[in-house]
Amino acid sequence: MADRRDGPGSGDNEIEIKRLSKVFGQGDAAFRALDDVSLGIRRGEFFTLLGPSGCGKTTLLRLIAGFEQPSAGEVIINGRQVAGLGPNARPVNTVFQNYALFPHMTVADNIGFGLRMLGKPAAEIRETTERMLALVRMEAMAARKPSEISGGQQQRVALARALAPQPRVLLLDEPLSALDLKLRKEMQSELKRLQNETGITFVFVTHDQHEALTMSDRIAVMSGGRILQSGRPTEIYNHPAERFVADFIGDTNFLDVELVAVNGATAEVRLPGGGTRRATLPEGLAPDPGSHVTIVIRPEHASVTEEAADFEGTVEDAVFFGTDTHLNLRLSDAARFTLRRQNTGAGDGAMPEGSRVGVRVADGGIQVLRN
Amino acid sequence: MARARRNFSITALPGFASIAVLTFVLLYVPIATLVVFSFNEAASMSRWQGFSLQWYQAAFENRQVRDVSIRALGLAVTASAIATFAATLAALATTRTAKFPGQTMIYALVNQPLMVPEVVTGTALLIFFAGIKVSTGYTGMGYLVAAHSAFCIPFAYLPIRARLQTMDLTLERAAADLYANHFQTFRYVTLPLLLPGVLAGFMLGFVISLDTVVITEFVKSAGQDTLATYMLGQIRRTVTPEMNAIATLFLLLSAVVVVLFFIVSRKRP
Ligand SMILES: Nc1ncnc2c1ncn2[C@@H]1O[C@H](COP(=O)(O)OP(=O)(O)OP(=O)(O)O)[C@@H](O)[C@H]1O
Ligand SMILES: [Mg+2]
Repeated sequence: MADRRDGPGSGDNEIEIKRLSKVFGQGDAAFRALDDVSLGIRRGEFFTLLGPSGCGKTTLLRLIAGFEQPSAGEVIINGRQVAGLGPNARPVNTVFQNYALFPHMTVADNIGFGLRMLGKPAAEIRETTERMLALVRMEAMAARKPSEISGGQQQRVALARALAPQPRVLLLDEPLSALDLKLRKEMQSELKRLQNETGITFVFVTHDQHEALTMSDRIAVMSGGRILQSGRPTEIYNHPAERFVADFIGDTNFLDVELVAVNGATAEVRLPGGGTRRATLPEGLAPDPGSHVTIVIRPEHASVTEEAADFEGTVEDAVFFGTDTHLNLRLSDAARFTLRRQNTGAGDGAMPEGSRVGVRVADGGIQVLRN
Repeated sequence: MARARRNFSITALPGFASIAVLTFVLLYVPIATLVVFSFNEAASMSRWQGFSLQWYQAAFENRQVRDVSIRALGLAVTASAIATFAATLAALATTRTAKFPGQTMIYALVNQPLMVPEVVTGTALLIFFAGIKVSTGYTGMGYLVAAHSAFCIPFAYLPIRARLQTMDLTLERAAADLYANHFQTFRYVTLPLLLPGVLAGFMLGFVISLDTVVITEFVKSAGQDTLATYMLGQIRRTVTPEMNAIATLFLLLSAVVVVLFFIVSRKRP
């Protein structure tokens, strides 16, 4: 159905992306970097695009920012079609991966640049610049050049510069990837703080699953120019709908099992031990009973048990990770299964190699995949 | 053995040192001699008699020398300014736009003066300008300015283009993202960052214009000698240390501009 809600009032969505495609090059050399992507980003949310290198994250951001024009489809920002508008005509600012601070300007001039270009009065520019410097805690560095401050500080200036004109949307292209781990953790909470304080919609790009899970209100997982799944971090983690999503985020066990019965959004599946358990079905999927499906069980959703085991396995080895221990099991049919045991101090959670253990999967811990 | 290979150095080749020394001798001894004898008291080019600045004084008092120097400097500044302007536009067009058909062709065309022998260019200009002179009657400096400008473009173009190529495109994107229009992006971001390249291009063009003998010789009308063609003309007649003095000053000017050029173009964006 053609959806014609282009005017203001298209729900709570700050950005709407409809059937967006981007093809680079022509003829034989043509490459489809974005393939029929549709997406709604809500007002004021922290939205993350997560995916491996080359999946089209930057391309999608560029189409939103206006650095590239789409091959097909449309981008709607705040209810307004932005086709044909250049980046300077869109209420969107970008924090670039390499920061792209103007090297010949001071920190303060960098931050004030957007307001200057908008023709704001000098007093307002000065006042906003000072407020932004305080917001990112860089007051002491206002007169320095970008080459005279550290990477983390440059990062903060880039943020302040993009926030100063008070855009509706802030686009952040892997802004933390150049920082070391400690600084990165600091900037993660800093970013969350800034987003809460300003209420601006953040579209954040990363290929780091932990970053995505900890920071986002919602995540879209991308691969090969498509969006495979989007939803809250818990949804994506606990109920991955596709093999790629399950594999990309967290550690995962895949098992091929028989589907016994379907009851709406759930199904009964036969586990290797012979018994049946309830599994969650991906939205809109209703496989025939008797068919074979792939299920996902997260290692921490399974535990070692003495009674009522769903299936049994032989311990191949145990890997100690500090907070927990991974037990790698061989199941009867030569399939592998990893489970995670929390270390409590009473022991290191290891089991002797070659011993048989029973495995119990937690309720709600089984997810059927779409493919 | 393997170790010796890895540490292979050209300086270890037999004869390296002697060739290096010989090269430097050939390069610098004639120039050094010229400079030294510009301070000679006698008019001799081979016998040192004592230190004197009389040849410099003679040069400064020589009206002709003053005239050709002023003409050469004026010509170099004008022609190099025109060439730098054109070269800046050409460099922007060949690095800041999407690839367009014929781009390589344009690159080659801009660099034409580097490939065509100067004598050929000079002859062509002589014939071309002769036609214009006959039909318009104009015989002013315009011809020299035009010829020098065209000749200086590739020399101005190279450093500007080099600067643009190392300049991060995302800076201009960032400016556009922060609501700058095309002109503002150029005015506040591209141009300030490009300025060292533009200055370098101007200085290179300036030195080249000062130095060009062949094209000037072919194009100039009567009474339009530049310093370079004047020196050539004088040397054909008599050789006095006054020429050495003039040449030394010329050398000094070139050296200063070239050193400035290196300082300017070394500054990183
Ligand atoms: N201008 C272009 N011309 C041709 N192909 C391009 C162009 N820009 C991007 N691509 C291709 O499109 C694909 C997606 O690129 P994109 O930069 O969006 O990836 P990404 O998800 O941001 O990756 P990364 O995490 O490495 O930054 C890549 O395969 C890339 O080679
Ligand atoms: Mg990218």
